[in-house]
Amino acid sequence: MRLGANTWIGGGLFAVALAVAVTAPWIALTDPVMDANLLNAELPPSREFPFGTDAQGRDIYSRVVYGAQISLTVGVVSQIANSIIGVTLGLTAGYWGGWWDDFVNGLTNVMLAIPSLIFALAIMAILGPGLVSLLIALGLTNWSYSCRIARAQALSLKSQGYVQAARILGYGPFRIMFTQLLPNMLGPIIVIATLGMGGTILAEAALSFLGLGIRPPFPSWGSMLSDARETIAVAPWVSIFPGLAIFLTVLGLNLLGDGLRDIFDPQATTRRA
Amino acid sequence: MLLVLVRRVGNMVPTLAAVIALIFVLFSVIPGSFMSGLGDDGRTMDPAVMERMRKEMGLDQPLLERFVKYAGATLVGDLGTSFRTREPVTKLIAGRLWPSLKLTMAAMLVAMAIGIPLGFVAALRPGSLVDTVSMVGAVSGLSLPKFWLGLLLMYFFALQLKWLPSFGYGDGGLTHLILPAIALGVSPLALLARTTRAAVLDVLNADFVRTARSKGMSERRVVTWHVMRNALVLVVTTVGLQFGSLMGQAVVVEKLFSWPGLGSLLVDSVFQRDIPAVQGCILVFVLFFLVINTLVDLAYVAIDPRIRYG
Amino acid sequence: MKKLMWLTAVAVAVVGFGAAEAQQTPQTQTPRKGGTVRMTAPYGGSLTSLDIHTSPRAQDDIAGKILHRTLYNWDSAKAQPALELAKEVAVSGDGMVYTYKLLDNAYFHNGRRMTADDIIWSYTRIMDPTKGFPGARYVRFIKGAVDVEKGAAKEISGLRKIDDFTVEMTLAERVNPGLLFFVGVTAILPKEEVEKGNFNSNPVGLGPFKFVEHVPGSRLVTERWEKFYKPGKPYADKVIVLIMGEAAARDVAFRNKEIDTSILGPVQYVAYMADPVLSKGILEVAEMFTRSMVMNQASIKPFQDKRVRQAINHAIDAELIVKRLAKDKAYRAASWLPSSSPAFDKAMKPYAFDPEKAKKLLAEAGYPNGFEFEWTTSPNESWGLPIVEAVLPMLNRVGIKAKPKLIETTVLTETAMKGTFEAYIGSNVTGPDSLATLKCFHSKTPRTACNYTAFNNAEFDKTLDAAGQAADPEKQLELIRTANAILYDEAPVWFFNYNKAVMAYQPWLHGLQANPTELAHQYPEELWVDERSPVK
Repeated sequence: MRLGANTWIGGGLFAVALAVAVTAPWIALTDPVMDANLLNAELPPSREFPFGTDAQGRDIYSRVVYGAQISLTVGVVSQIANSIIGVTLGLTAGYWGGWWDDFVNGLTNVMLAIPSLIFALAIMAILGPGLVSLLIALGLTNWSYSCRIARAQALSLKSQGYVQAARILGYGPFRIMFTQLLPNMLGPIIVIATLGMGGTILAEAALSFLGLGIRPPFPSWGSMLSDARETIAVAPWVSIFPGLAIFLTVLGLNLLGDGLRDIFDPQATTRRA
Repeated sequence: MLLVLVRRVGNMVPTLAAVIALIFVLFSVIPGSFMSGLGDDGRTMDPAVMERMRKEMGLDQPLLERFVKYAGATLVGDLGTSFRTREPVTKLIAGRLWPSLKLTMAAMLVAMAIGIPLGFVAALRPGSLVDTVSMVGAVSGLSLPKFWLGLLLMYFFALQLKWLPSFGYGDGGLTHLILPAIALGVSPLALLARTTRAAVLDVLNADFVRTARSKGMSERRVVTWHVMRNALVLVVTTVGLQFGSLMGQAVVVEKLFSWPGLGSLLVDSVFQRDIPAVQGCILVFVLFFLVINTLVDLAYVAIDPRIRYG
Repeated sequence: MKKLMWLTAVAVAVVGFGAAEAQQTPQTQTPRKGGTVRMTAPYGGSLTSLDIHTSPRAQDDIAGKILHRTLYNWDSAKAQPALELAKEVAVSGDGMVYTYKLLDNAYFHNGRRMTADDIIWSYTRIMDPTKGFPGARYVRFIKGAVDVEKGAAKEISGLRKIDDFTVEMTLAERVNPGLLFFVGVTAILPKEEVEKGNFNSNPVGLGPFKFVEHVPGSRLVTERWEKFYKPGKPYADKVIVLIMGEAAARDVAFRNKEIDTSILGPVQYVAYMADPVLSKGILEVAEMFTRSMVMNQASIKPFQDKRVRQAINHAIDAELIVKRLAKDKAYRAASWLPSSSPAFDKAMKPYAFDPEKAKKLLAEAGYPNGFEFEWTTSPNESWGLPIVEAVLPMLNRVGIKAKPKLIETTVLTETAMKGTFEAYIGSNVTGPDSLATLKCFHSKTPRTACNYTAFNNAEFDKTLDAAGQAADPEKQLELIRTANAILYDEAPVWFFNYNKAVMAYQPWLHGLQANPTELAHQYPEELWVDERSPVK
């Protein structure tokens, strides 16, 4: 694959998903919650209902479109939370070392050892289903990778000349960390964040499948997929379109992440020849 | 080598202890209880009975006391008594451990048998159609929701073609294992294909390979000897890491295929608030992950003698 | 001549009768001995315990009916409990003392004969004060059981052994013990086996099949108990229970002929009814569960007004939801008691779908622009989230804004008992004891017991008290009917539906019982498979 193709295709797919989410109120055909007419239940795709209807008689196209809002919000916000937590912990651990480093390392080990889906499940069970719970649960689960990378980068960068210079100039540790070190490690961080977003969207789908997902009645792709389980033999379009939406968005994010990795980190072992 | 082993095992202990504590605290603040879960479908539970159940399970004691008891018991291998079956948790887990292991190993086998050769071939012909198709396939494999894939597999191969059974463990035979193993294995397969390809490419362009080529070694020897040995490190690491976390990821697939493993036990226990069973399952997952990681580290050292720990 | 005509007449009659019987043969086949019956346990991913005293779950009693026995069974044909472990029973004049003459040929799977000691031991075990056995709520009706429960006595004073096969039971309240002791959690278990400590792995009972193996999360295998007390039964050699919680998976397995029975969900119900072959093997039963939206009168003001509650009943097109969402796998509810109850008034019509009337009632009550409330629900597909999602637009049209709050099923029960909800949708057992069912709405019943609506109506209390006292069963039924009608008018809940249980069965399986207490609870000694069964 030539350099750049990943970025373009991936970025394009993700941009489409974002655009759909943002313009949802305008491009949707019906209200995703209130426009439910049981007499229209489980109709195949037609001019009136481009993606068909679900068991409640709601237009699937409109729900997929609105679902983008929730699914992308979950993906983006959780990942940002992950990155903030991870980078802060990793950066400070790498820079300061000592007992703080040991503590963060230990914490990272613990988080890596517990399967992330199960940890998220536990938190969802405690907080109860809902968007905020989901953001908290997913935001707390995947920060380990960002942390490790940030720490490694901090370790290798802190002995650089400009850092020494900053210290001599009297910059405080936080200023050094966030103005000198952070900008230089943004590349890998962004790559991980992009790839991680795909993971959180998939995690939301899995949690919805298990029954602990988003608070109703607003649609999310994961909960739509979960609802559709029973009807797959009778009305396969109910599960095809949300599943396809998840697949294409996550694919876009994965391709974009790959492309960004090629740009930011040419030394990475997953480079192309 | 022994020193390395001891050190690694030593590193596991504090992590394990922290996990036990974290999980215990998490599940002690969870709303809903085992007793209230018994009234399924509207069969109301008698309040006096519920209160006695609470006492029977020791849930009326203060948190710290319960934790100390639990931690102490865990050290000697007593994981408590399941609220549901009233039997030791170790027994409950023992009955489900083998199916989980089987599924995880089968999925890993699928991933390695297809992923590694695929990545290899793709690396040997970079930029070709084979390369493009396999890498696109790999990225797609990573982007699929597991249960959607499982559902499609189930309906296509079981219902439409009737080639394979659709659910359950059966008599433990191979046919029941195939669909769940594929559903679970696609993700590590994709990752392995990508990692192998990258590792092989990396090595193919490394200095010592060029040296070997310039020395006149036949292409085949170059590939088989140097490339494989050096790419192996990264591949083994990836296999290990994937394997370690695969058991935890199997939860959704197990639930979908009614596979009687630890994953479905865990989910059922969480929903029914069978706390000792939940804690026991998570402990097993974590232990599994840590042990595999340690083995990977040791294998790392064994394969690449250049890496030594001070 | 006369003799010839007489003989001819007889001959014709015999031939005619024989022909008629030949046409009837499919229904009057003689049960075949042998073969394997493959049932499914559809309510979850596992059987929690084979010690049936410990679990009240419907799922576990599927195995309970196979391995164990209770004093009474449920006779589906007569729609009432029937003596099972006893030959006969004598009732005292005041209806408080029951003397049972037990079977003398009932053997536990370890070979030991059942005696009166076993009845006494089992019921005493259930009242153990250090354990929470669900059966306690039933055994509590025996005089003296409460003392054991409190730890004040070691034995139940109301249970007396007359001789090895006669036991006398004195009740604390006048009830029909049949309605109490047919429930699975009151099974008679053998003391020596339970005390071994591993009863869950080696269950021993009085049931028609004995334990072979249990693969947790997968299946339970049992084989015929040769010494079962019903002559000639059980017919099958083996009964296997396959644990399959997913309806879609069961669907595939049933079509592949891998299982003999399958409880159908609404989606499969439609598909199977439309299929010319599958529709021939469907058993439908009106069960005894009422699904409703419970309105907490102790929470928000609108729910305290009868007109608001009636308005909600009028605003929702429950008929449409039952038809479209539940795929007709339910019966529209008229009032609280289900249609299978003997006290059900067939003339009672459910609330009509009338949004205009709803708006009028709301305006009368002082809410012309509607109001808001929080609606707590579980993810359950039959009486949970999907129903809420369908109702939201209907309530919206009359101005009522409902805000769904999704919680797990275990949390739902807690929430109901604590009263921390405004409205919740759920399912309640409403049978077979109609009087006990209605007691939930008596003002003296605490919320934690089952008065979740905080219902308080003097006339209802009076009627129900009178029903409890009534000696004449007809009079009692009449009073129960009246009480049910009061509930209809007061509308403490939105009456949604009574459930319809549907089981698909393979053509080679015979002997299924239309058990309204729970269709999945089949007495396996009646089941048999003919030669067409794929399992030899």
